[in-house]
Amino acid sequence: MKTLADLKAIREKAQQEMKLRNSNVRIKVVVGMGTSGIAAGAKDVMKTFIDEVSTRALTDVVVSQTGEKGLSSMEPVVDVIEEGKPRYCYGNINSEIAKRIVVEHLVNGNPVKEFLISTE
Amino acid sequence: MQDLSLHLIDIIENSARANCDLISIVIGIDETENKLSFEIIDNGVGMDEDTLTSAQNPFYTSKSERKKKIGLGIPLFKENAERCNGSFLMESTIGKGTRLYAEFEHNHIDRMPLGSIEDTFLSSIVGHSEINFFIKLFHILQNKEEKVFILDTREIKSELGDIPITWPDVVIYLKDTLNEGIKNIELEEF
Repeated sequence: MKTLADLKAIREKAQQEMKLRNSNVRIKVVVGMGTSGIAAGAKDVMKTFIDEVSTRALTDVVVSQTGEKGLSSMEPVVDVIEEGKPRYCYGNINSEIAKRIVVEHLVNGNPVKEFLISTE
Repeated sequence: MQDLSLHLIDIIENSARANCDLISIVIGIDETENKLSFEIIDNGVGMDEDTLTSAQNPFYTSKSERKKKIGLGIPLFKENAERCNGSFLMESTIGKGTRLYAEFEHNHIDRMPLGSIEDTFLSSIVGHSEINFFIKLFHILQNKEEKVFILDTREIKSELGDIPITWPDVVIYLKDTLNEGIKNIELEEF
């Protein structure tokens, strides 16, 4: 059973890691979690991003969720926001595509072009 | 919506958009009364009487896309509860917050499965790291024994100090804690 004491060890390890590498947030991933997004599978997409980012220990990526943005026909919708770069918006995402976005875009810096719906 | 965990994430999203900083969620099965209940309380902006009534009407939308505070989510959840011999209640006070309570007949033939509520909680905690979550899950068995699981992100955040709750190892900790906790109290029967 996990206890709060386990968190102490996690905190100490994280503090060491923060000293070693730049732990500022570099990329923000925002999953659209409105009613239509949820109905189209946004919950699984969110879970995939959370799982992939945490198991790959991507400490400079933050995954968050937001309400609808008026793109219901293309749900689930995901934004990838990186400072100094255009805002990449993906549509019709599922878990498989989410995994590709993590590897190709977040890790290697190459947006997955075939699922982009806009670049602002 | 295929299961109740999807309704839950939708309701939590409403609270998040109401600018709250604390969401309290109590979900439980009471076998002695054949009930499955959901209570979600936030300390957000709240709604006036009219908005509160409109929010339960499927033909109401505020339509100003990015400012939308309510959607189809509430009427769908309400309909599901009522279809299962349950009940639905929403109360709100401007400036204080909103309370939503839904009850289902636990073994009703039309009751949706609970689904992976552990994923709903993890998504919400990580996806809204600025909001605190108090989660209490309970299961009262036929012999009146009560099993309880509680997770309070305020305790976790105070233990973490300057480490964000979105830190990868913390997320894995949360995931394991939720999975174990839900399994231990046998919240879902299938």
